[in-house]
Amino acid sequence: MARRFVQTNSISEMEGLKLLNTQRMNRPVSPHLDIYQPQVTWVLSGLHRITGVAVAGVFYVGALTYLLHPIYPAIDSAHLIEAVHNLPVWFKTSAKVAFALPLTFHSFNGIRHLMWDTGKGLTMKGVYASGYAVMAASVISTIYLAFFV
Amino acid sequence: MMRSTSALRALPRTAQLVNTARAFSASASTSFASPSDAPTPAAGSKPPAVKEFKIYRWNPDTPTEKPELKSYKVDLNQCGPMMLDALIKIKNEMDPTLTFRRSCREGICGSCAMNIDGVNTLACLCRIEKDTAKTTKVYPLPHMYVVKDLVPDLTLFYKQYKSIEPYLKNDNPPEREFYQSQEDRKKLDGMYECILCACCSTSCPSYWWNQDQYLGPAVLMQAYRWIADSRDGYTEDRKDRLQNNMSLYRCHTIMNCSRTCPKGLSPGRAIAELKLEMATGVKAKAMNP
Amino acid sequence: MSFLRTAPAFRAGLGMRTIHTSRVAAVQASKQVRAIAADETAGFKYTAENAILKGTVNDAVAVPTPNKAHGSYHWAFERLVSAAIIPATVAAAVASPTAHPIMDGVLGVTILIHSHIGFSACIDDYVDERKFGALGTACRWLLRVGTAGALVGIYEFNTNDIGLTELCEKVWKA
Repeated sequence: MARRFVQTNSISEMEGLKLLNTQRMNRPVSPHLDIYQPQVTWVLSGLHRITGVAVAGVFYVGALTYLLHPIYPAIDSAHLIEAVHNLPVWFKTSAKVAFALPLTFHSFNGIRHLMWDTGKGLTMKGVYASGYAVMAASVISTIYLAFFV
Repeated sequence: MMRSTSALRALPRTAQLVNTARAFSASASTSFASPSDAPTPAAGSKPPAVKEFKIYRWNPDTPTEKPELKSYKVDLNQCGPMMLDALIKIKNEMDPTLTFRRSCREGICGSCAMNIDGVNTLACLCRIEKDTAKTTKVYPLPHMYVVKDLVPDLTLFYKQYKSIEPYLKNDNPPEREFYQSQEDRKKLDGMYECILCACCSTSCPSYWWNQDQYLGPAVLMQAYRWIADSRDGYTEDRKDRLQNNMSLYRCHTIMNCSRTCPKGLSPGRAIAELKLEMATGVKAKAMNP
Repeated sequence: MSFLRTAPAFRAGLGMRTIHTSRVAAVQASKQVRAIAADETAGFKYTAENAILKGTVNDAVAVPTPNKAHGSYHWAFERLVSAAIIPATVAAAVASPTAHPIMDGVLGVTILIHSHIGFSACIDDYVDERKFGALGTACRWLLRVGTAGALVGIYEFNTNDIGLTELCEKVWKA
């Protein structure tokens, strides 16, 4: 003699979907950025975007500021060069590093991206080796540009 | 000792089960194993090496309670070497409510995909780090809606896979076999082995932000698997499905996918080849391993 | 529905019992009835940011209408512009004084187009209209206005002032 301890009821497909979607509204999103291990892959990619936005931002701000030249004649290259000339040396060098590092990194990583777009260097070895090469090249070129130019 | 079958049937059900229990010990028994049942270590054997595991828990029966990390301590000397062994041991001996997907335990079904110590991988292929001073953190696959504990909702992933029509389509099938040269067959190497575990797609930041429209590395590699197949006759149609801003071109070659694939495949490389073929129309040669 | 008539014969050829035609028809008819449409959400609102999905797991996601301008042409154009920055920089750096304004102009415009495409990709990734609505549209227009203004600025700076390359050299060595 069979004794049932579990009761089942039959619902239509539509009711089932409604039940499922009700459940779905309660579900949390699993953590992502805060728990994912920092890796050369996505850290360098994030830096590529951040440096790109930073350098392009400076470019845009500079170009747009020059639009005010007719109203403020002091906004031109001569005044800028003089203002920079009068800054203390430590500030100028720090600013050079702060500007050169993002620019060189973005440029070298850009070349790495173009290399990938042709299909080369897309193994894990290639990605890591080129990643370290880009970081080294950025640092070396920044030091050269900031201290020796 | 085997009793006669009629005598067996006369016994109550629970006793029947006990009498047909096999001689060797199996972990699946009618009651949960408890630590006191574990064999006591022989003299001179290793002292317990207790490692802490912190596992993401969320219960849909109490949805207002926020997800939390629950701590479990496991003696590694009484546990198999892989993360899945630890999870099963925890479920058997400490907390039967711990919920996760698993099946083959050999890295071929793709069920036990989860985020272990920050990396997406298969629990059955991930060795437990022997250092007992370090805590291992186990999370579900990132940026997915959680059904319960370590179980993500993969419905969208499967719907995206279906949308690329992952089957051979040819309006003029030959009389007998589809002949394929060895070079053409080599083009599928590195793509056909995908077990659709979703580790790569859920490691991709672009997929995190734009899951609803970006197909993700797993599905895109399979899309390319069918585009690269010389036997398929719908290549242009398949490429047209990707000619929009979001389905393929949210990929920015971050390469988290290839880094995390537990089967050693490279979806990132397949996608790069796919983009090249979409732009130039030139079919790629086989990818080097 | 001629295949219905042949179906029993086909199955007889395989050594199976034939199904009466009307039962085959009934089986076919029940397959046509679909309780859930492919875009059904059972009363919930589908957005890009919640867990609601359209239809069931057996319904594929919708495929957008193909448009190469947003697809492979855009990708190829983006790569060509990025690649062009390298020779443009080299040429602008070594250009003779007479060629200076033209090379500077080319470099400036190339960098501007590259930056515009880059910002546009950021908007597509992070503040798309389907998720952020008016904010997304506003960002896009802000970018277009900014690019147009910057283009004028580059032109003016190149024509009335020393140009991009010389500015960089002079400010760096100031």
